[in-house]
Amino acid sequence: MDPNFTVERGTTASRRFAVLGGVLVVALATLPFWGDTASMRLIAEMATYLALAQLWNLLAGYAGLVSVGQQAFVGLGGYALFVMCGWYGIHPLLAIPLAGIVSAALSLPIAFIVFRLRGAQFAVGTWVVAEICQLLIALMSSLGAGSGQSLTPAIVRTVAASKADRDMIFYWCSLGIALIVLGLVYALLRSRHGLALTAIRDSEQASRSVGVDTFRTKLLTYVVVAFATGGVGALIFLQKLRISPAAGFSLNDWTVVVIFMVVIGGIGTIEGPIVGLVIYFVLRQLLADYGSWYLIVMGCVAVFFMLRARDGIWGWIAQRWQLHLFPLRRNFRRGGP
Amino acid sequence: MTKGISKAELKRRDVLRAMAVGGAGAIVGPTFLARPARAAGRTIKIGFVSPETGPIAAFGEADDFILAGVRKVLANGITIAGTQHPVTIIKKDSQSNPNRAAEVTAELINSDKVDLMLGSSTSDTTNPVSDQCELNGVPCITSDAPWQAWFFGRKGDPKKGFDWTYHFFWGVDTISTVFCDLWSSLDTNKTVGALWSNDPDGIALSDPQTGFPPLMKKRGFNLVDLGLYPTMSDDFSAQINKLKEAKVDILTGVFVPPAFATFWTQAAQQGFRPKIATPAKALLFPSAIEAIGDRGIGLSTEVWWSPHHPFKSGLTGETPQQFCDAYSAATGRQWTQPIGFKHAILEVACDVLKRTKKIDDPGSIRDAIAATDYTTIVGPINFAKGPVKNVATTPLVGGQWKKGSKYKYDLAIVNNKMEPSIPLDGKFEPLAS
Repeated sequence: MDPNFTVERGTTASRRFAVLGGVLVVALATLPFWGDTASMRLIAEMATYLALAQLWNLLAGYAGLVSVGQQAFVGLGGYALFVMCGWYGIHPLLAIPLAGIVSAALSLPIAFIVFRLRGAQFAVGTWVVAEICQLLIALMSSLGAGSGQSLTPAIVRTVAASKADRDMIFYWCSLGIALIVLGLVYALLRSRHGLALTAIRDSEQASRSVGVDTFRTKLLTYVVVAFATGGVGALIFLQKLRISPAAGFSLNDWTVVVIFMVVIGGIGTIEGPIVGLVIYFVLRQLLADYGSWYLIVMGCVAVFFMLRARDGIWGWIAQRWQLHLFPLRRNFRRGGP
Repeated sequence: MTKGISKAELKRRDVLRAMAVGGAGAIVGPTFLARPARAAGRTIKIGFVSPETGPIAAFGEADDFILAGVRKVLANGITIAGTQHPVTIIKKDSQSNPNRAAEVTAELINSDKVDLMLGSSTSDTTNPVSDQCELNGVPCITSDAPWQAWFFGRKGDPKKGFDWTYHFFWGVDTISTVFCDLWSSLDTNKTVGALWSNDPDGIALSDPQTGFPPLMKKRGFNLVDLGLYPTMSDDFSAQINKLKEAKVDILTGVFVPPAFATFWTQAAQQGFRPKIATPAKALLFPSAIEAIGDRGIGLSTEVWWSPHHPFKSGLTGETPQQFCDAYSAATGRQWTQPIGFKHAILEVACDVLKRTKKIDDPGSIRDAIAATDYTTIVGPINFAKGPVKNVATTPLVGGQWKKGSKYKYDLAIVNNKMEPSIPLDGKFEPLAS
């Protein structure tokens, strides 16, 4: 083999994007000083959905774990926060990572059940587990049973006494979680595990034959995703102020919408969920006041993409222009370093 | 009518006064010329959150009609502390989803910066809307959910109450009394079977201390409590067997309409036919009875409002009958109970704004809410006279579905013991066996 080959990942486009992305992050991080609360709130909501979308994409797009039960971890994280803050007086911001740990711990026994299933059965299995979580919590009267419970203003005010300060802190938390998740996914995919994950995505059989421990890799991914999803859930319900089984374990709000974003944007890419996120929010802002038509249009868009553009928008762009903003592939270049 | 004239006259005087001021200004200096003839204040924004799509969309089906009526009255704005303010009502759909309700409320607070928030129809909308407002210091009025589900469901402390949020509706105690009054008027074995949906209303009503069961015992009824069932349940055969075994004459509980339709069909198949069936929440809408068909005749329910209620809209002067007729004429639909409350909550909002001293101070709007003493199309609203702080109660009577004349089925008021001013228009009869 010619020794004058070097392996590199970055491309000119990705390096330019890194600079642009850095500028964007700084702009968003300083938004509280120059933007209004409405845009802060919107960006924060987008950030939490970006985190959920990246996490689901990591599961489905890379590890091949097409879960339709991620709402289980959103709900468990949310309930964990309500219990920690309401019963034990733990500071809400500290309760967010702790809720992630609770959710990760619970994901282990769940994983041992659902990992026995494959493909479509796995998808249905995860959904069933989420429904069981919802039903079990609806039976616990100490958690408010089917009616749920509220987070009292006194608890939320321990985050910050004034609305402006709270808005700012919640905004940074949401943005922070999104960036952490994005960084985590990117780092994970560039690591050895990432290589293993990509191999599993392309063919589980083949990857096992070349020595990838598929069970361990998938389990690690599932638990890490459960941890982060639980944390995101805790942050979501800290801002919603109220949780009930139907709200916490909502299939539509925490999984279907997320799948929509990832599928439209392009599954199995880091850029895809970002593109999907923007499209979803644009459609929602435009159509939300049209009642049922809003849902019908969303459904039609999703069906169109599933039939006509299965790789999503980013899949099409990446193919057409060989564009990778988050370079994961290894490219060979002739010549020394 | 006299009120209308005086209002018009008042307006005329305002205009004259403003013109006089304007005229004086013109003489005093040219800078005043830029001012409009009438002192016009900034636009006041009211947020209106209600379920218009999703499983309980029936509650919000009249929203557009009701808002159109109120907007017409408010075309010239409201005079607040001597200044005429235009008013916009911003409607948001909660999609019958508590997550969405919290989200749109936050949007109304942060983006639209509403001065006053209104939320209505079941605790899945009223509670998240109120929680957001309570934390963010936005004056808020909600309605159309039993007040215990709203107050205790949000961890309210009867001694302290809430700072920013107010609610008007009847309570668990009221509906329990009405149901017992209904049942006592017929001859039965006094054995009551109950199934409760596992949702805020079912939990509030089934509570062994603060709910319905203690009152039943006190009134001499023997309760066969079958406990909470999952809200989306579609098989009631086990419960129906137990009801048959216990020889239940009276059936009650809390059901969403589709669940009750399933229950009632299965009850017929298994030969369970009580003398009285009074499920709460299930039979509010004519559509619920139409789904069951003629087997629905004779079922009884709570009635919060009807065209025969002896009240009048303080905003438009319409009687409930005129209001319902206008609704039917405009939409071709039969009246439903929530339409009165949707109108009433907007009436209260207008009354509050008119009495507000400093519109730019949310605390002043809140004080005006607390001081409300006003008669709406659904009855008098007074938060000072409520059972707990921040709550005002409205009257409740018992009704029974009968074969209709103009529409397929009609809801007749058959028991008014709690509120004798509301006229009866039928006699309570046992279910045909």
